[in-house]
Amino acid sequence: MDKILLVDDEPDILRVLSISLKADGYNVTTAQNGEDALVLYRKESPRIVLTDIKMPGMNGIEVLREIKKIDDETEVIIITGHGDIESAIEALQYGASDFINKPVRDEALSIALKRAKTKIAINQKLKEYTLDLEQKVADATRKVRRQANFQSKLIRSSNDGIVATDENLQVVIYNPSAEYIFGYARKDVINKMLASDIYPAELADLFREEMNGPNGAKEIPWKETRIISRNGDSIPVGFAGSILSEKGRKMGSVAFFQDLREIKRLEQELLKNERLAAIGQTVAGLAHGIKNILHGLKGGSYLVDLGINKDDTDKLLRGWDMIKRNISRTSELVLDLLSYSKEREPEFEDCFPNDIAKDVCDLLAERAKESDVEIIQEVDASIQEVSMDPRTLHEVLLNLMGNAIDACLFDEDISKHWQVALRTQREADNIIRFEVADNGAGMDAEIKRKLFTSFFSTKGHRGTGLGLMVTRKLIEEHNGTIDVNSELGQGTTFIVRLPFQARSQS
Amino acid sequence: MGKTVLTVDDDPDVRLFNVTVIEEHGYTPLEATNGEEGLSLIKQEKPDLVILDVLMPRESGIRLYRNLKTDKKLKDIPVILLSGIAQKSFLRSQKALTQFGGAAVPEPEVYLEKPVEAEELAAAIKKMIG
Repeated sequence: MDKILLVDDEPDILRVLSISLKADGYNVTTAQNGEDALVLYRKESPRIVLTDIKMPGMNGIEVLREIKKIDDETEVIIITGHGDIESAIEALQYGASDFINKPVRDEALSIALKRAKTKIAINQKLKEYTLDLEQKVADATRKVRRQANFQSKLIRSSNDGIVATDENLQVVIYNPSAEYIFGYARKDVINKMLASDIYPAELADLFREEMNGPNGAKEIPWKETRIISRNGDSIPVGFAGSILSEKGRKMGSVAFFQDLREIKRLEQELLKNERLAAIGQTVAGLAHGIKNILHGLKGGSYLVDLGINKDDTDKLLRGWDMIKRNISRTSELVLDLLSYSKEREPEFEDCFPNDIAKDVCDLLAERAKESDVEIIQEVDASIQEVSMDPRTLHEVLLNLMGNAIDACLFDEDISKHWQVALRTQREADNIIRFEVADNGAGMDAEIKRKLFTSFFSTKGHRGTGLGLMVTRKLIEEHNGTIDVNSELGQGTTFIVRLPFQARSQS
Repeated sequence: MGKTVLTVDDDPDVRLFNVTVIEEHGYTPLEATNGEEGLSLIKQEKPDLVILDVLMPRESGIRLYRNLKTDKKLKDIPVILLSGIAQKSFLRSQKALTQFGGAAVPEPEVYLEKPVEAEELAAAIKKMIG
């Protein structure tokens, strides 16, 4: 039930009005002067106050002002004398919600009360709405703050260096990993430096171009590059970036830097280990080769000594031959080692590959004949003068053909008619395929596996174990490939593919 | 008649050296250039001693040694292994082969690493067969 405080110095009016208001369902309290009214107001906290304006002592305006001071939302309706417009205006200025003229008529009173009540209801609603709104804003703010906090933690804890800028490339985000990579402190960078101040020139240019380029988001794909840190270190990083845009308008950039120092260090270590292992293998193989040669030299010296002591010319000569043979083996080993250890760029020259193939066959003709091996040449006549490294080709073919003849020599099946074939074929626009095929001893899987590794020789005393290593190295330096097919007892085929260029002069 | 010593080596220099040492010390030399030839000569001639290079083409030296030492009739013929590889590596490789299901073979009576002095070889021969 709505409480009303009724204030009037005339008890008759108070009585009549309060009867009428009570009949309308209000809970009415009355006061005969302003002072009493304020005491009652404090005690009862009515939502509506109806006060006469002209009262002895504290008048209605003063009551109004006091009440508004206590609670601005209390609706105060002023009762004025007939025609007292001035007072009514003053009352409205002080926040009265309405005024009614004396003599108070029921309809006027009920309209004023109804309006006051509506106002109170609206105020109440407004208050609720405001409260609700504030609650919602607070919730949303909390949520946004939590998300922002989460994202900033995410950025902070990322292992990748993250650098984000505004549309002018001013750095706005710069996480600890970025600090670690670039070496600049966060406080010196954020809002103080441009991305182009810390990025390598190439990336700085890239971002500047993208920022000035056509609108729209843009991804800059992952690539490896190097950062120069604050203290001048060159740091390998993986980099990816994006131009950020909102509604088609560029708003900034973000770049991710993955520190590759550790990975590079491990790669280096691995490479070093592999190289060390290769050196170990090489030294072990080399020691074996040298031991064999030393053995030959010692044996030779023994025979020479024996020959001299016993005046036996035959022993002397055989011993001397042995020494000479082992000296030439030494030089072969040294030459192989030299050509293996030397880095060499292929020297392209105009040449006729088919002629080189023929030269190699001619060189080996005698050795083949001694070993009962027939050499077959099948060259592709469409191969004319091209530009490639003739020395590489010569050495590769000589080595493979020599091996092929040896493979026949080592073959135990003496019923075979041994053949070694050298075939050339133009394969693609710029590749010649060379095939060296023998029907000799062939290789088992184990030997095939070890084929290109150092010092693995199946030839016993005849091989240094370096030939195929050198061959492969030469082919790789020439950007070519070498493949092998072999079956034990059936023979072996080496396929070499070497790229060539068009001959230089027409 | 002197005792016979067979030298099996693919390297003609080594054979010549070995044969000379064998002759110089009063034994009768026999030679073979690979494992297969060596095995048939051993069966045929029953030499008193074999000097064998383990590292020959197609691993025929190692095969010969394993065949010899797993053959009831031939396993008592003493063997001097003469090789460019260290004894340790050879023994390790034999152990590995045994583990892969091959028969266990005894260690050679004498293992000499190349290069070997004539006196050293002669002393080893003498120690084996007198």
